[in-house]
Amino acid sequence: MSFDHALRLTEVLLALALIQQSLEHLRVFRRERLLFGARILLCGLVVTGLASPWPLVGLAGLSLLVLQRFQGPYNGGSDRLGLLALWCLMLARVLPVDQWRELAFGYLGVQLMLSYFISGWVKIVNPDWRNGLALRQVFAFSAYPVAEGLRGWADRPRLLLVMSWAVMLFELAFPLTLLSQPSLMVGLVVAATFHLANACLFGLNRFFWTWLAAYPAILWLQQRLF
Amino acid sequence: MANPFSLLAPALVPSWNFFDVIAASPRVEYALADTRDAALDAWTEFRPRPQRLSPVAILGRLVWNARWNESLYLVSCAERLVEEPTAHGEDEIFRRIAADLAARSDAPRWLSFRLLFVDPTGEREVLYQAAPRLRADIDIR
Repeated sequence: MSFDHALRLTEVLLALALIQQSLEHLRVFRRERLLFGARILLCGLVVTGLASPWPLVGLAGLSLLVLQRFQGPYNGGSDRLGLLALWCLMLARVLPVDQWRELAFGYLGVQLMLSYFISGWVKIVNPDWRNGLALRQVFAFSAYPVAEGLRGWADRPRLLLVMSWAVMLFELAFPLTLLSQPSLMVGLVVAATFHLANACLFGLNRFFWTWLAAYPAILWLQQRLF
Repeated sequence: MANPFSLLAPALVPSWNFFDVIAASPRVEYALADTRDAALDAWTEFRPRPQRLSPVAILGRLVWNARWNESLYLVSCAERLVEEPTAHGEDEIFRRIAADLAARSDAPRWLSFRLLFVDPTGEREVLYQAAPRLRADIDIR
């Protein structure tokens, strides 16, 4: 995948993910409708490729207003990756030197890899994750399970122990998938399945679309490095 | 109010420590009253989760999950409010509860909310309770 192709694919996928999120904000409050209506408009320009790179510059500026409006990311980690991807893409479009542009886009790929590896690391050093208790607690009392019926999973400790180790080992092993393009493809399919499961069980749909949008960056980075 | 560049920085240099520690989890509860000084003893959980969701509903939420994402935002507001109380956090929670109650014109005029935290042992503790506000004074536009 060439740099230009990967960059274009990432910006289109991110714009579509941002449109999906923005539509959800048009529901109730007028002030949010203004902010997110403008974001949909700019994302539409990104998808069509018109006036590039100014819609990305506009989206980066608008992201500051959105951060100010909610005093932080609206939906935690998923919005953080969305912001990171947006600013990396904007820099990859506007920086004047090719190497700087590659560096900005490559940074997104590196952070995507780290998002899995560090998540795995902080879990495996915690004894509650190693013995399955942490995941039991997530199901038992956290705010995330989308239905009360799912809380019953907390009473299946063996299943949750297996799930905990599967998640930790996958996250820690993810950097190794960068060694070849086929292994990275397999890694990304597993990772997308993991995000899909999180979306179904915990309602984290924004993670699914935002992480998928950044995958072309790591696919390009793998080719660039190996 | 924090400036937007200080809010952007953690996104540009992220920590990625998802679920590293399972901390006490907030629930937002609200109560209505006819007067500002009435005793608030009938607390209702705000947007309790359903008992079950059909597979179709779960898949539908992949593309339209507005209320759930708003509830997750309120979890963030609740955590921030307990760590460092701000008018913004309180306004955001009031606004969303009042918007949900807007159709109930016959409901009592005064609204309050509290944040109940459930810890890993199942213990529940109220860590924050907002002073009642007139529903008509809450900006839900």
